[in-house]
Amino acid sequence: MAFYLAKRLGLSAAVILLVVLVLFSLLYLIPGDPATIALGPRATPEAVARYAEKMHLDEPVWAQFLIYVGNALTGDLGVDVFSDRPVAEIIGERLGFTLALVSAGLGWAVLLGVPLGCLAAVRPNTVFDRITGVLSVGTIAVPSFLVSIWALLIFAVGLGWLPAIGAGEPGDLGDQISHLILPAFAIGLSWVGYLARMVRASMLEVMGENYIRSARAFGLRPNKVVFGYALRVAILPTITLIGMGFGGLISSTVFAEIIFARPGLGKMIFDAVMARNFPIVQGGVLVATGLYIVVVLISDLVIAWLDPRVRESL
Amino acid sequence: MPKDAQTAQDTLLDIRDLSVEFRTPRGRVKALRNVSFEVPRRRIVGVVGESGSGKSTVLWAILGLLSGNARVSSGRIDFEGRDMLRMSEDELRAARGEEVSVVFQDPMTSQIPVLSYARQMRDILYRREKMSDREKRRRGIGMLERVGIPDPESRLDQFPHQFSGGMRQRAGIAMALLTEPKLLLADEPTTALDVTMEAQIIHLLQELQAEFEATVVVVSHNLGLIAELCDDVVVMYAGEVVETGDVHDIFHDPQHPYTRALLECDPARLPERSAKLPVIPGDIPDLTRRLGGCIFADRCPRVMEVCRTDTPPDQPTASGVARCHLVGGPHADPDWPPPLDVLTVRTGEGGPRRAAPDQHAAPVLEVEELNVRFRTAGALPALVRRIEDPFVDAVLDVSLGVRQGETVGLVGESGSGKTTLGRAVLKLVEAQAGSVRFEGQEIRTLPEARFKPLRRDMAMMFQDPVGSLSPRKSVRALITEPLQIHGVRGVDFDAEAERLAGLVRLPKAFLSRYPHELSGGQARRVGVARALALNPRLIIADEPTAGLDVSVQGEILNLMAELQAEHGLGYLVITHNLPVVRHIADRLAIMYLGRIVEQGDAEEIFAQPAHPYTEALVRGVPQPDPDRRRTHVSISGEVPSLMNRPKGCDFVARCPYAQERCRIEKPEHRVQPDGRVHACHFPLR
Repeated sequence: MAFYLAKRLGLSAAVILLVVLVLFSLLYLIPGDPATIALGPRATPEAVARYAEKMHLDEPVWAQFLIYVGNALTGDLGVDVFSDRPVAEIIGERLGFTLALVSAGLGWAVLLGVPLGCLAAVRPNTVFDRITGVLSVGTIAVPSFLVSIWALLIFAVGLGWLPAIGAGEPGDLGDQISHLILPAFAIGLSWVGYLARMVRASMLEVMGENYIRSARAFGLRPNKVVFGYALRVAILPTITLIGMGFGGLISSTVFAEIIFARPGLGKMIFDAVMARNFPIVQGGVLVATGLYIVVVLISDLVIAWLDPRVRESL
Repeated sequence: MPKDAQTAQDTLLDIRDLSVEFRTPRGRVKALRNVSFEVPRRRIVGVVGESGSGKSTVLWAILGLLSGNARVSSGRIDFEGRDMLRMSEDELRAARGEEVSVVFQDPMTSQIPVLSYARQMRDILYRREKMSDREKRRRGIGMLERVGIPDPESRLDQFPHQFSGGMRQRAGIAMALLTEPKLLLADEPTTALDVTMEAQIIHLLQELQAEFEATVVVVSHNLGLIAELCDDVVVMYAGEVVETGDVHDIFHDPQHPYTRALLECDPARLPERSAKLPVIPGDIPDLTRRLGGCIFADRCPRVMEVCRTDTPPDQPTASGVARCHLVGGPHADPDWPPPLDVLTVRTGEGGPRRAAPDQHAAPVLEVEELNVRFRTAGALPALVRRIEDPFVDAVLDVSLGVRQGETVGLVGESGSGKTTLGRAVLKLVEAQAGSVRFEGQEIRTLPEARFKPLRRDMAMMFQDPVGSLSPRKSVRALITEPLQIHGVRGVDFDAEAERLAGLVRLPKAFLSRYPHELSGGQARRVGVARALALNPRLIIADEPTAGLDVSVQGEILNLMAELQAEHGLGYLVITHNLPVVRHIADRLAIMYLGRIVEQGDAEEIFAQPAHPYTEALVRGVPQPDPDRRRTHVSISGEVPSLMNRPKGCDFVARCPYAQERCRIEKPEHRVQPDGRVHACHFPLR
C-alpha cells in the first residue's frame, strides 16, 4: 500500500512536470518575442524591457524553466500581467466557485443516475428501462451549452424562479446556492445519462453472476441483493468514471461559467487565453491538471477501499 | 424410492409431475417433463445426468429461482407437505437459506468477492433477530472450524480470494449449513476441485450429513461422486427421470438402457486399458419439438418399434422405477438386462485397432532439464520489499520424451505446471534453461523467425473448446485458419476444410455454422480438425475431454487414437483426469509443483505407483461402485503455493510416509531398472 502510494505520487509528479514543460514551451512555440506577445503590439519598448526582466526572459531558456518549476513548488505561480497580483491568489479566489459547481453538478447526477441505472438493470427491457434508456441517450447527446442556454431562458428569464447570472452575494449561503442550481443542472444533466447507462451495463453483468444467485438462494431480501451485493461490485467501474468526470469538469465547466457569468477556473483560463495573459493560463492549467490527478488518485483509493482484491494487489 | 413403509411415510421432499418450459428464440424448450421423485428424510439422494438432462433445472425449481424465461407448466414440489410452487415469494424467501440451503458448484464464482466471510455469514443469518452480532460471529467461527478450516477466528474476516479453492468450497459448505437447514442441495459440489480435494469434500459431506441428520440432494454428472456419497439415485435424461433406485441397484443392476450405457461409458469402470472406449452415439433430442415415444429411443441400442410411438410407463423395479418397455409390460424382455460384463453400447466408430507404439520409434519430442520461471514481483518492488528471489519455478528440471505414435499423459492437479510445460514446448512461454528438441533439432534457443516453419509440425489443442474459437468465424474459416496463418498457397481451402471435417467426422452442414451453435463435442472436433490442418507430427492436447459428457468423451478419444494410428502422431496429453488418461496413454508423467515426481509405463504406474503422490491420485478417484467406498482419505491438504516451495521434498507436507530426511533433502530423480523414474526417498516399490 505504501509502495503503491509512493509509485502513484511519483508518477503524478512526472505527469505534472511534463505538463509544466508543455505549458512553458507554449510561450516559445508562438512566433515572436514572448514579451511582445504578452503585452501586445502597441507596448512601448520600456514596458517590454521591464516585462522581460520581470519574467526572467533574459536568462537562458532552461534557467527560466528551472526558475518557474522552483517557484511553482513554493506556491508561486508568477504574477498576472495586467494587475500584477500573484497568480496563485487569483486562482485561489476562483477555485472555490469551480469546485462548488463541479461538486453540485456531478453530485446530483450521481444521486439520480446511479439509482436510475440500478432500477433499469433490475427490470431489463421493461417500459421503465426503455424510457430511461432513451432519456439517457438524449441527455448525453444534447451539448451542455445548449442546456445552459435553455435552462437560463426558461427558469431565469421566462419563469423568473432562479437568478440568471453571477455567483451570489459573498457570505449569503442561500443566495449562492440559488445561483448554483441552474449551472449545476446544466453541467450535470448529461452525466445523469452517462452514469445511468454505465451503471445499468455493469449491473446487468453483475446480476448474472453466480454470487448473486447464491445470495438469492440464501434468501436475502431483493433490496439487499441489489443494493448490498450487486451494486457493491457494479459501482467499481463507475467510480473511475466519476473520478475522471470530476477532473475533466474542472476545466470544461467553461461554458456554464461563461453563460451564467460565474467566476471560476474555466472562465479565468478562457479570459486569460483571449488576453494572452500567459502566467494565468499556465497557472490555471497547472492547477486544473493537479486537481485532476488528485481526484483520479482518490477514486482509485476509494475502489481499493471497496474491493479487497484491488487493495491487496496495491 | 420407498425402501419400506416406515421411510415412505417420512418423505421430506416430494416432487410430482414437475414440468418446466423455457421460452427461447428457437421455441419452447420443454426442459423438464413430468419429473417425479421423493427425497426421504436423512438420506442422500443423487440426481445424475449429462448436460441437458435438466438436473440443474430441478434444483433451481426447488428453490423457486428459475430464470425469467422459465415457466412451470405443471406439477408440485411438496416440502414437508407444503407445495413450494404455490408459496408466495415471501414464504419462499423465508424457506431459502433457512430450511433449504445450497452448496454451489464453483466456489470461485459463487461467493461475492468484495464481502468478508463474516459479513456474508451475518447476512445469511439476518432472519435470526434475537441473535446478536457477536453470537452470529461465534456461530460462523464454529461452522468454519467444523468444516476443517484452520484458525477460523481470523479466517472469518478474510475474503474469498484469500482462500484456496478447496478452502472456499469448505467455506461454501459452512455457509450452507449455518442455519442448519432441513434440506441441503449440492450442485456439482466437487466439479471445480482437484482429485485429492474432491475426496476430502466427499468425506466432509458424508460426515456432516450424519452429524446434522440433514437430508441431502446431490446433483452431479460424476458417477464416482454419486456412488461414493449417495443412498438413492435418480437418473435423468433429456428432461425426464428414466430410472430411480437404491444406489446399489443402480450401479449393480441398472434396468434402463440409458443408465446401463452411462455406466459402461465411464472410463473409471473399464477394468483394463482398452483400445476403444464405449460411446452412446447421437445427441440428446431437440427439446423444442413435440416428443412422442421414449425419449432415449434415438440413441438406444435396444430400440423397438413400440419405443418410437408409445411413451413407456414407469415400471417398478427392485427399489424404484424404470421408464422402459424392456423392463415390464407386454414388450418386456426376460433376458434384459444382460450381465454387467456384457457391453450393450458400441465401442465407437470402426477403424484400425491401436497398435502398441514401437519402443524404437524415433523420438518426436525430447525435453531435458527444462526450467520455466515466472517473475512474481517487479524489480523495484522486490528491492523495496526485500524479496530475495522474486521468481517462482513453474516448471523445474523437467525431462520428458514423446516418440512417434506414442501418447504420453502429463498428469497433475491445478498449479502443477503441466499447462505451462505444454506451452513452453511450443514456445508460447519462454523457458529459461534446459533443452527442447523436436525431431532432433534444438528449438528452445531458436529465434522465432526460424521456429515458425517448425511450428507447422506441432499443434496445440486448447483446453476450452469454444473459448479458443473466434466467435465471429464460421467453422470453415476456423478449420483453415492455420493454413492462412502459415501462408499456405496453392491449396483449395474449401476442399481442405471439407477434407478435415471428414477426418474428424463433422457433417458438412456444420462448416457454415458458428462456434456458439456447436455442442461441446462438436467444438472439440473443430479443435481437433484445426490441430490437424497442417499435418503435424506432434499434438499437445490440453485437457482434451474437459467439459465433455461421459457418453461423448469416448468419441473424441477414439478419434484421436484412430488419427494417431493412421498418421503416426505423437501426443502429449495434459490432463487431471486419471481414468481417461489411463486408457489412452502409453506412458505417464506425474507432475507436482512444477516437477515430475514419477514417470514410466502407464499401466505399471496404475498397478504399482512408486511415489506416494501418484498413489494418492490413483486412489483418489471416486469409483463408480458403491461397494468400493473409501473409509478414509489418503492425503489431506492442498497443493501449496509455488511461492513457498518446501525445502525438502515438495510433497512432504501432505505425504503420509514423510520422514525426517524428506524435510531436509530434495529427492533426486532416480531411474529404476525397468525405466521407471521417480523422485522419492522412500518409494513404494
